[in-house]
Amino acid sequence: MTLVLIMLAAGTMLALGALMGYVLGWANKAFHVVVDPRIEQVNEALPGANCGGCGFVGCGEYAEAVVESDTAVDLCTVGGESCAAALAEILGVTVEQSWPFRPAVHCGATYAERLKRSDYRGEQQCATANIVSGVQGCTYGCLGFGDCDRSCTFDAIHTIDGLATVDYDKCVGCGACSKVCPRNIISMVPFKIEQMVVVACANEDFGKDVKGVCKVGCLGCKACARASDLFTFTDTNIPVIDYDKYDPDQMDEVEVALAKCPMKRLAKVGKPSDKDIEGVAGEDAPGVVQVDFKTTVDDTEWHG
Amino acid sequence: MELVSQLVLIAVSAAIINNFVLHYFVGICPFLGVSRRVDMAFGMGCAVTFVISVAALLSWLCTEYILRPGAPLTSWLTGNPEADLSILNYIVYIFVIASSVQLVEMYLRKFFPPLYKSFGVFLPLITTNCAILFACLEIMKHVSIGAGAGAWGGGGGEKWGLAAAMVLAIAGGVGFTIAIVIMAGIREDLDHCDVPKPLQGAGITLLVAGILALAFMGFSGVDSNLKKAISPQDPPAATATTPGDPTEGDPSP
Repeated sequence: MTLVLIMLAAGTMLALGALMGYVLGWANKAFHVVVDPRIEQVNEALPGANCGGCGFVGCGEYAEAVVESDTAVDLCTVGGESCAAALAEILGVTVEQSWPFRPAVHCGATYAERLKRSDYRGEQQCATANIVSGVQGCTYGCLGFGDCDRSCTFDAIHTIDGLATVDYDKCVGCGACSKVCPRNIISMVPFKIEQMVVVACANEDFGKDVKGVCKVGCLGCKACARASDLFTFTDTNIPVIDYDKYDPDQMDEVEVALAKCPMKRLAKVGKPSDKDIEGVAGEDAPGVVQVDFKTTVDDTEWHG
Repeated sequence: MELVSQLVLIAVSAAIINNFVLHYFVGICPFLGVSRRVDMAFGMGCAVTFVISVAALLSWLCTEYILRPGAPLTSWLTGNPEADLSILNYIVYIFVIASSVQLVEMYLRKFFPPLYKSFGVFLPLITTNCAILFACLEIMKHVSIGAGAGAWGGGGGEKWGLAAAMVLAIAGGVGFTIAIVIMAGIREDLDHCDVPKPLQGAGITLLVAGILALAFMGFSGVDSNLKKAISPQDPPAATATTPGDPTEGDPSP
C-alpha cells in the first residue's frame, strides 16, 4: 500500500509536470516574441558595469537603445574605444574618433590653502554645506565633504586634505562625481593623451577677492591667454580651455603658459607618463602597502 | 438557493470584508511595489486575478480527487479509505502557481510590452505572492477538513465544491485589484503633496496602507447581517438584531 501511495504521489507530480510542460510549451510558441539577436550581442560587448555613464539606466537599456534607435555607439565611457568599435561592428556602422572622458577637478586648494574656513558642524555633506554660507571663504572651490567620494562606485575619487582627487588608474569616466558635485567644479574632459592640462581653479572673481579667500587661487592675470590662444577669458576672471583646439602634439605654447602662471593653477592631470615614472625610478618611494587582514575568528580555546 | 447565498457570501466576504491585502495582509509585496500608477496597478490586479483563478481551479481538482484524506482516486488505488496524500499539498500548489505565472508572463510579453516592462521584477514575483498561496490553502482547508469556514460567511461545517473555490479565488483577486487600485490612486495624489522628508517614500506608503486597512475594518460585521438578509431559513434570526453588533450602530447619537 505504501508503495502504491508513493507511486501515486510521483504519478501526480509527473502528470502535473507533463500537463504544465505541454501548456507552457504551447504558450512559448504561441506567444513567441521576436527579439533582435543584436541586442544580446551588444549586451555581451558592453562591460556590464551598469554605471549609467551613457545616460541610460543600465547596460541593457543602452543595448536596446543602440539597436532600436539611432543612439551613438560611443557613449559607453567604461568600455571606451574598443567597446565602441565592437558595437559599431555588430551594428555595421562606422564610429567617429572619440576620446575617453575623465573628470577634472577645477580646484587645487587643500584645507591649509583655503582661507576663512569656519567650524562647520552640520551634516557632513557638500550638498548641505553648500547651502550654508560661510563654511569657507571661496564660494567656488571644493568643500571637501566627499559627496563625489561617496558617489563613485569604482573607488576612484578621494578627498585628500579636503580636496577631491581623482585616481585616474581606477576611473572609468562614468561622470557620477561631476553630476553629484553641488558646486559643479568637476567637469568631464576629453583625454586626448594620458595627461591633460586643466585649470585647477574655478573662482571667477577679481584677483584681490581671490587672494582674500585662497592662497593659491587663479588671479585672472591673463598671462596664460597671452602665451597661448588655447586659454580664453570670456567675461569672467578664469581661463577656459577649448578642448576642441587641444592638440597633444603642439604643446610648446601651452608649456610656456604653464611656466608663466604665477599661481601655478594650470595643472596636468591624468595617469603618470612613462617618462615621469622613469624620472622618479631612482628615488626611494614607499612601496605599495599590502593589507594584511587577520581573521576575526578566534580559535583559542576557552579555559575559563 | 442555499448554494447561491453561500457563493454570494463568500464573494462579498473575500472581495471586501476579509480583503486579502487589507484584512489578512497577504500580497503586500506587489501592493507596495506596483501601486505607483493606477494603470499599472490595475494590470497587476488583473494578472493576480488570473493566476489566482487558474491556481484555484487546478488546486481544487488536485485536492478534491487526489490529495485530501480519503480522496476518491487515492483510496481506490490504495484500497484504503483513509489514504492521505496531503503532504503533497504545498508542492503541488507552488508548482501550479509558478506555471500559471509563467503563462501570464509570456502572454503579457507578447501582447502588452509596455506593461511587461513596467512590471519588471514584480511579474515573476507573483510566483511568491502569498495572496495566491493563501487562496489555495483556504481552499485546501475547506475541501479536506470542511471546518472553520466562519471567516468566509458561509458558516462552519460544510465542504466546498468547485464553485465555492472559484468564487473565493476570483473574488479574492478582485479584492486585491480594488485594494491596489485605491492605493495607487492615493499614491498618485500623494505625489503632489508636501510629505515631510523623513516620511517620504516607503514611510508614507506604509502609513497610507495602514489607514486604508483601518477603513476596510469598517466592513467587518457586514457579512453576518448579509447572511441574515439573504438566507431564507430561520426567520426569527433574520429579524432579531444582535446586541452589540458593530454594524447596527448606536441609535442614540
